[in-house]
Amino acid sequence: MSRSLLHLALSALALFTILNTGCTPDSVEETEYLTPPGAEFMNQQAPPRVSRPSFVDPRGPRMDPNEIPGRYPFYWTRAIYSGWGRRGWGQSWATDYPKGDQQFLVVLKRLVRLNAYDWDNAIRLDDPILRRFPIVYAVEVGGMDMTNPEVEGLRNYLDAGGFLIVDDFWGQREWDVFEYNIRRVYPDHPIVDITLDHPIYSAYYDIEEVKQVPAIGRAMYPAECYGCVPYVRGIYDEAGRLVVIINFNTDLGDAWEWAEDPRYPLEYSTYAYEMGANMIVYAMSH
Amino acid sequence: MERIFEFLFKYPPLFFEQGDFTFGAPMSVRLWLIIAGLLGAATVASYTIARGKSTVTDRGVMAGLRVLLLAVIIVCLLQPSLILSTVVPQQNFVGILIDDSQSMLLADENGESRNSFINEEFASDESELLEQLSDRFALRFFRFSDVAGRIDSPSELAYEGTHTNLARALDVAREELSGVPLSGLVMITDGADNDNQPLAESLVPLQAAGVPVFTIGVGEESITPDIELGRIEMPRAVLEGSSLTVDVVITQTGFEGSTVPLIVEDELQIIAEETVELGPDGEPVVARIDFELEGVGPRRVSFRIPPQPGERVNRNNARSVQVEVRGEREKVLYFEGEPRFEVKFMRRAVAEDENIQLVVLQRTAESKFLRLDVDDGSELEFGFPTSREELYRYRALILGSVEASFFTHDQLQMIADFVSERGGGLLLLGGHGAFAEGGWQGTSVEEVMPVVLTSPADDPQGFFAEVEVTPTPAGLTHPAVLLGVEQDQVRERWDSLPTVTTVNPISQVRPGATTLLSGSGEQLALEQIVLAFQRYGRGKSIALTIQDSWLWQMHADVPLEDQSHEIFWQQMIRWLVDGVPEAVEAVTDREQVEPGENVQLVTNVGDSSYIEVNNATVTARITSPTGIVEDLPVSWTVQRDGEYSVEFRPLEEGEYEIEVTAERNGETLGSDKTYLYTAPSDKEYFSASRRTQTLRRIADETGGQFYTPDDVSSLPEDIRVTGAGVTLIEELDLWDMPFLFLLLLMFMGAEWGFRRIRGLI
Repeated sequence: MSRSLLHLALSALALFTILNTGCTPDSVEETEYLTPPGAEFMNQQAPPRVSRPSFVDPRGPRMDPNEIPGRYPFYWTRAIYSGWGRRGWGQSWATDYPKGDQQFLVVLKRLVRLNAYDWDNAIRLDDPILRRFPIVYAVEVGGMDMTNPEVEGLRNYLDAGGFLIVDDFWGQREWDVFEYNIRRVYPDHPIVDITLDHPIYSAYYDIEEVKQVPAIGRAMYPAECYGCVPYVRGIYDEAGRLVVIINFNTDLGDAWEWAEDPRYPLEYSTYAYEMGANMIVYAMSH
Repeated sequence: MERIFEFLFKYPPLFFEQGDFTFGAPMSVRLWLIIAGLLGAATVASYTIARGKSTVTDRGVMAGLRVLLLAVIIVCLLQPSLILSTVVPQQNFVGILIDDSQSMLLADENGESRNSFINEEFASDESELLEQLSDRFALRFFRFSDVAGRIDSPSELAYEGTHTNLARALDVAREELSGVPLSGLVMITDGADNDNQPLAESLVPLQAAGVPVFTIGVGEESITPDIELGRIEMPRAVLEGSSLTVDVVITQTGFEGSTVPLIVEDELQIIAEETVELGPDGEPVVARIDFELEGVGPRRVSFRIPPQPGERVNRNNARSVQVEVRGEREKVLYFEGEPRFEVKFMRRAVAEDENIQLVVLQRTAESKFLRLDVDDGSELEFGFPTSREELYRYRALILGSVEASFFTHDQLQMIADFVSERGGGLLLLGGHGAFAEGGWQGTSVEEVMPVVLTSPADDPQGFFAEVEVTPTPAGLTHPAVLLGVEQDQVRERWDSLPTVTTVNPISQVRPGATTLLSGSGEQLALEQIVLAFQRYGRGKSIALTIQDSWLWQMHADVPLEDQSHEIFWQQMIRWLVDGVPEAVEAVTDREQVEPGENVQLVTNVGDSSYIEVNNATVTARITSPTGIVEDLPVSWTVQRDGEYSVEFRPLEEGEYEIEVTAERNGETLGSDKTYLYTAPSDKEYFSASRRTQTLRRIADETGGQFYTPDDVSSLPEDIRVTGAGVTLIEELDLWDMPFLFLLLLMFMGAEWGFRRIRGLI
C-alpha cells in the first residue's frame, strides 16, 4: 500500500514537473523537440504559431495565422482532439508533434510529387477551418475523449468528403477507447479489416505486408502490448468510400519522426513512409 | 392615283412604260420647230409693240403665257402617239398559278378566307376578270404547294398542301408552257414560301424568255392578334440526364406586354413550364427554358403556348423537335500533374453519373502515374497518350496542374489537334503548373485556350488570390453554371458558395470566347476570368482558372446536403462531351419531313485518327416505322473529303431509324445511328402573313406587276400590253389627251386672269 502511495506521489511529482515545463511554448520546444539532429534548424525556420500545447490551453496550437489556406494544394493536418493521453493534460493528440509532422513532410515531398505546405498544421476537430484540409491525421487515439462539438465536427468533416488517418494506439483498452469515440461519430458504420488486396496498398508503393512499426527504442520488442498484432482497419461511408483508415497496434508516427536516427530500424521507417505515401495518394484521389 | 393618271393621259401608266413615244405629223419635226419659233417670235414682237398701260414685266408675263399656249398647240399638231406592242387576242397563253396550300384557308380579319378571292375571280363563271382574261388569252391553270402541276379548273383545288414552294411552281409552269406562245404567268398566293428554295434560279429563265409574272397577293400583311413559336435552338443529341437549356423565339402581335405560359412536353408529359413576358408588338422575344430528358432513345419534345383568347391562328403555337437521348458512357481523360484534391472530389461528383467514365491519370512522381477507372491494364500503361489513336479514344480531355514541359512537342500538337480536328472538348484547370505559370505560353495549345496568357508574376512565391465567383450575364443561362436551380436563383446560389483560390491571374479572353464565371477579390487587381470557353476548329476549349473547386463541396459554409459541386461537375463534363463527333457520323438534312419527301443523308467518315477516308464502303440501313428494312449504299460526294451522301424518300408516317456503317478493306471504321421523323407538317401556319416584298420582287424582276385583290381589275389589259408571245404593233394617239386640253385652258385662263388683276382689260 505504502509503495503504491509512493508510486502515486512520484507520479504526481513527475506529472507536476512535466506540466510546469510545458506551461510556456519555449520550454515545450526546448525540452521536447531539440534532441534529434536537424530539429533545431527546422524549428528556427518554422513560422511562428499562435501557441503551443500548454496546461492552460491543451488544444492550443493551430496553423500559422499568416498562412492563407489554399496557397498549397496539400497541408499535412493533425487533428487536435480532447482527451487525457500520456503527454500531460489532454495532449495525446500532440504526440510526436511538431517534429514528426515536419519530418514526414520533408521526406514525403522527396518521394511524392506533392506541392505541400512545409510545416505542421494542427487543427481542432470542432474548428470549421478543418474543412479546408480534406486529410487529417489523429494520433494516440487511445487517449481520445472527444467533446460533442468535436464529434459533430468530425462527422460533418467525413460526410463532406474528409479522410481520417488514425495511428499509434495499442492494445484492447486503447482500442475500446477509440472505438467508443468513433462510434459516437458513426454509430452504425462497421469497422472492417483492410486486406492486402485493397488499392490503398498499391496507390503509390506496392505493399505486401502490414508491419508492426515500433516506437523509438523498441526495435527489439515492437509491440507495446502483450501479443499485439498490427491491423489496418477502415470505415466506409454509405457510398462505399473509405473515409477512415486505422493503423492499430503500430506507430507510423514514430517512424516518421525518428527515421533519421541511426538507432531506428530502416525496415520500419521504410514501411512507415511507404504506408504514409500510399494513404495520402489514395486519400487525394478516392 | 392610277385612275387620275389614266383620266389625264388617256392611257394607264403601264402603256407609257411599255410603249415608245413618237410624233405622227407629216412634216419633219425640225420644220415644225422652225414654224413654232417664228410664231413665238411674232407673238413676243406683237406684245412688245402694243404698249398701252402695261409695264415691261406685264408684257413679258403675257408673252410668256401666250408662247406656252402656242407650244401646246404645236405639240398637238405634231400628233404625238405611243407605239405599243400588244398581244394578239386568243393567240397567246397565260398560265395561272394558284396556291393550293393550307394557308389559303386562313381567314382574314373580315372573316373571309384567302381562297374566297380565288373562288370569286377564278372559279366562278360570273367572274368579269376571268371573262376578260379568257377573251384575250388561252388560260392554263396550275396549282402549287410543295409540288406543282396542271389542273383543268380552279374547282379542283383542295388547299391541302403542307408547304409552299414558289420557285418550283414557276419552274413547272415555265416548263409546261415552254412550247406555246406565252404572254405571262399569273401567280395567286400569299407568298408565304416555307421551302426556302432560292427564287433567283427560277426567275432568271423567265427573264431570259421575256415572260412576265403577274403576282396577286392575298391575305393580310400582319395577322393580329397572334402568337407564334419561332426558331427552337436545341441539340439533336444529348446525354441522358443532361440539363438542357433551350432558346425558343416567340413572336406576337396584339399581345404586347402580356404573359403566357411556355410548356415543354416529352411524350405528352409536361417536363417544364416557364412564364414568358411578351415584348412590343412584332418584336420577337427569346424565352429560355431548362429541362432534363430521362430515358434513352429518340424523342419528340414539344413546345407549346396554349391558344390565347382572340388569337387568329392557333396551329402556330406549337412546335416539335426531334432529339436523341444517348445512353453511352462517355469517356473523359483527366490528366493531373500532381496529387490534388480536385481529382478526388471531381471523381466523387461524377461517380453516380452512369453516362460518364472519368479516366484519371495522375502523375505522382517523375514518370510514375496513378491510373483510375481505366478499362484494362494496358490503358495509359505508359502515361499520357503518345499517339492520336490513343488520345482520340476519349471524347474530352481535362488537363490539371501539369506544366507544358512535361509534354513532347508532338504531344502538345496532338492536344491542339484533339480539339481542332477530332472535335473533342478540352478543359484546362488552374494550378501551379497550368496556364502561363506552367509555361504554356508559345505552345500549340496556347492557341486553343479561350483565355489570354500573360507573363507569370516575378514573385518567387507566385501569385495567389482568393476569388469570389459570380456568373456573368451569359453564364446565368448556361447549363454548366445553373447549378440545378431556377434561373432567377442562379446568382443567389453562386453568392452563397464559399470563395475559392487561384494561382493563375487571368483577366482577358480571346476574341470570340465567352466568359461564364468571373471573380473578384482583395488580392485581385483585375477581374479574374474564372470560366470561359470558345469554339476551336471542330471542338471546344474551356478554361476554369481556379484550383480548388472542391471547396464548394468541402467547405464548412456549404451544407452537407448541398449538391452544387456535384451538379457543377456533372454538367461541366456533360457540356465538355456534348456534340463531340464520332469518326463515323450520320446526319439527315432535316430532322422532320413529310411522307414522300426526299431526304438527304450525309455521313462523314474518318479513321481512328479522324483522318477523312474516301475509299470506304458505306451502307445505310433504314428501318421504317413498320419495320421494313432497306439497305442503301452511300457514295462519296467527291466535293469534300470523307463526306458520303445518299437521298431517300420515306413513305411511311412515324419514326425511321437509320444506321450507317463504314468499312474499309473489310475492317469496320465505325457506325452511327440517327433518326428521322415523318409526319404531316404544320409549316403552313407559321409566318403565314402575306409576303408582299417577295411577290413584288417576282413581278419586278420579270417585268410583271404586283396586285392585291382590290386593284386586280387592270390585269387583263396589263398583260395585253406587257405580255410576250404573238404580238402586233398598235399606234395610240396622244394629241387628244385631256391633259393637253387642260394645259391650253390653263394658259388661256392664266393670261385672262393676269390681265384682270393688272387692269389691262
